[in-house]
Amino acid sequence: MSERRTRLLVGVLAALFIAPLMVLLVQAFADSWRAPGVLPDQLGWRGFEVAFGSARAGDALVNSLLVAFAATAISLVLGWPAARVLGMRRLPRNGFVFLLIGLPLLMPPYLAGFGLTEWFIRLGIDDSLAGIVLAHVTFALPYAILILLSGFNREVEALEEMAATTGAGPARRLAWVTLPALRPTLIAAALLSFLVSWSQYGTSLAVGAGRPTLPIVMLPFIQTDPEVAAALALVFLAPCIVALAFVARLQRTPL
Amino acid sequence: MSARLSIAGLVVAPRDSPPVLRGVDLEVPAGARLALVGPSGAGKTTLLRAIAGLEQPSAGTLDLGGVAQAALPVHRRRMAMVFQEPRLLAHLSVADNVALPLRADGIDRRRRRALARERLDEVGLGGFADRSVTGLSGGEQQRVALARALSAEPLLLLLDEPLAGLDPNRREALRRLIVKTQTQRELTTIVVTHDRSEAAEVGESIALMLEGRIVQQGDPREMFERPGSGAAARFFGVSNLLRLPGEPDGAVWAIRPERVIVGSGPTSALVIEAVYRGTQVRLLMDWQGQRLEALVSPVDAPTAGERVAIELPRTGLWRLPGRSGAAPVPGGLTSTG
Repeated sequence: MSERRTRLLVGVLAALFIAPLMVLLVQAFADSWRAPGVLPDQLGWRGFEVAFGSARAGDALVNSLLVAFAATAISLVLGWPAARVLGMRRLPRNGFVFLLIGLPLLMPPYLAGFGLTEWFIRLGIDDSLAGIVLAHVTFALPYAILILLSGFNREVEALEEMAATTGAGPARRLAWVTLPALRPTLIAAALLSFLVSWSQYGTSLAVGAGRPTLPIVMLPFIQTDPEVAAALALVFLAPCIVALAFVARLQRTPL
Repeated sequence: MSARLSIAGLVVAPRDSPPVLRGVDLEVPAGARLALVGPSGAGKTTLLRAIAGLEQPSAGTLDLGGVAQAALPVHRRRMAMVFQEPRLLAHLSVADNVALPLRADGIDRRRRRALARERLDEVGLGGFADRSVTGLSGGEQQRVALARALSAEPLLLLLDEPLAGLDPNRREALRRLIVKTQTQRELTTIVVTHDRSEAAEVGESIALMLEGRIVQQGDPREMFERPGSGAAARFFGVSNLLRLPGEPDGAVWAIRPERVIVGSGPTSALVIEAVYRGTQVRLLMDWQGQRLEALVSPVDAPTAGERVAIELPRTGLWRLPGRSGAAPVPGGLTSTG
């Protein structure tokens, strides 16, 4: 009885998740789809042809990937020590610093990007992928820190102490104790940083000076040509699906 | 292989709080097994951690086998520590946990496994090498932690309440194992405990720590029967601190409750309370306006309200060193009550 109810619940939730995606999937291949019809009149590849042709989705995809990977790497490297200090409560004013780190998330991304552009022009890194990466780090880094610090706790510290007493130096403690203990947290932080960068629109628009990334390329089509927008959305969704599959797999293998 | 530990004037004071260690002096000869005992908050664990290098002292010297340790980081000190919790790495097998110090020493995998198995045999976990540490009982985990500490081949072994949290049978087994291993290896060892009986069982000698200082060090018998101060006496269960008639005012005399003879003697006391404790009855008495405690056999034990004859035998009495200086034990107590 309760198993049946669980199954029903899972079914409903899955439907809520899948239904919009199904529309997207159909839309992307619907060369012609008029309002009253439940199914498209004509299927085809026009959406993708336009997307990867005149809309430069290929360039945008490469740019988005490069920027997201770079922003993730920088966020993790910068976020690690910050999260460690915060998570182990080594600061006299932990709560205040915690608040400061979260502060960028309250700022509208376009405004942050706008302000950064003025600086980037003076520093000579405007109109470059590096500039976009830095702008994305503004938003990816707080998320990375907030997630990572949940992994740094007394237990990890205790294990590091133990490793030190067995003769392991700092590098070995990191490799043998800290990284294995923080593996799930690190993966979560990486995934979120990546997706934050991946979906940035405002910052990329302000800083990028027209350099294509997937959201920038996609948005205009939402109004003008839903089929192209849907095709681009599918490309845009790919890493989310990969991430989801990854996490699902991770849950099955005990850490 | 083992080494002498010498500590002098060690101070550990965490930022913005009063010092936890207020000048610790401690000598542990090579191959000795010392029980470091004291009430909670006395600074025992902090001292152990400072020896291992996990706490930074602000003053004092720490010297192992003639080598000053102050400048050495934790991982370069030739010590091993067993913490109160086992602190095992859940993603490694039992053998890999035990082999951790060997891995840090750069010993190759094959030899590591062989040595880890030897250490596991030594702690009585012969068939456990490939098991996961998460499935082990608390006692087994603590044994793995001990095997790991031994595999480091340390000059000094530090054990922080290793028996805490174990049921009586496992506790006794692990206690024997610790004593046996230490004796066989002649390994300089410090065992921290808050339990005075455990200290006597596990230590060849005992150091008593009170409020951040080592106040007395000696063999267990001496600590229990001749504590050097009122506080030390109370910690070791000497509840009777008495003024004796005919002695100078400042002099305080101590006697263990189990040494007080009840039922015969030259003086008498009024039983205020008699508590049956299974193997003994604890008597709380009023003797000449002073509180006197005694432990007697449950057979024919007096009850509350009774007046009983008592004797404070000369051999059980000693005078606590006070301002008026040490005095010889009086020639028997024969005062009338």
